[in-house]
Amino acid sequence: MVKTKSKIEEEIQAIFNSDKPWVTIVWDDPVNLMTYVTYVFMELFGYSKERATELMLKVHNDGKAIVSTGSREEMEHDVARLHEFGLWATLQRGDQAL
Amino acid sequence: MSEHAGFTRHGDNAFVAQFSESEREVLINLAGQIIELLSERADHGDDDPLAVMVGITSHDSPPDDEVLLRLLPNAYADGVDAAEFRRYTESVLRNKKKAHAMSIRVLLKSASDGGIELDHENANAWLGAINDIRLALGVRLKVEERSHDELELLAPDDPLRGVYAVYSWLGWLQESLLQALMDDSANEVN
Repeated sequence: MVKTKSKIEEEIQAIFNSDKPWVTIVWDDPVNLMTYVTYVFMELFGYSKERATELMLKVHNDGKAIVSTGSREEMEHDVARLHEFGLWATLQRGDQAL
Repeated sequence: MSEHAGFTRHGDNAFVAQFSESEREVLINLAGQIIELLSERADHGDDDPLAVMVGITSHDSPPDDEVLLRLLPNAYADGVDAAEFRRYTESVLRNKKKAHAMSIRVLLKSASDGGIELDHENANAWLGAINDIRLALGVRLKVEERSHDELELLAPDDPLRGVYAVYSWLGWLQESLLQALMDDSANEVN
């Protein structure tokens, strides 16, 4: 069965929507206060205090943590906002080794 | 007393602090230095008014200055991607950081008695600006290389000792504002 163009586009869109191939990584920094990093995660991502604290501790203990996943555009937006608040953030494809 | 209170929460959306004259001067001065530093970066290269208007700059390489590099870091490990991202976003980032620092300058300059009241939005601007100042001072103090103890034990005649005192005070001030913002006990009562 031949698929219509719109059907194919729909399926491609579904792949992009379901897969979240890009990630935002926050790196440990000796300047930023632990409370500040937690607060920024809560403010920018709407995370609960518990989730934000967990991510902050992961950054602190492991040197880095994935703080959000999504499309490349979404992750560029997240990185820009993290930079606005002075956190050291980068984005990359999720399938690349951390 | 007022010098050691930091920020306290008043009601739902007011965060209040009282600064001494010397604290006020230090904050106004440091916020001004951040604005100046970010503006210097803008001076060369941003020569196309239309490009500036839509936020595109000709900067696609990271700043040589160590402090600026910390304030405007690369978004990608890959150099080509980092350059592309920087070209389209750096001027917006610089302007946002300048606006944060301006919030400190404007509010403190108009508060001749040192009394400050921030709403949530201004509080976020202050947090960002205080953090930028700490990042800048942190580069000068080489906090990446020096341990906390090493910084605490700087010799009395070491010029960095004063820098470290301001850096520590700003950390304390930022923490007090964060505690005031995250104090949701008022909401939990209801």
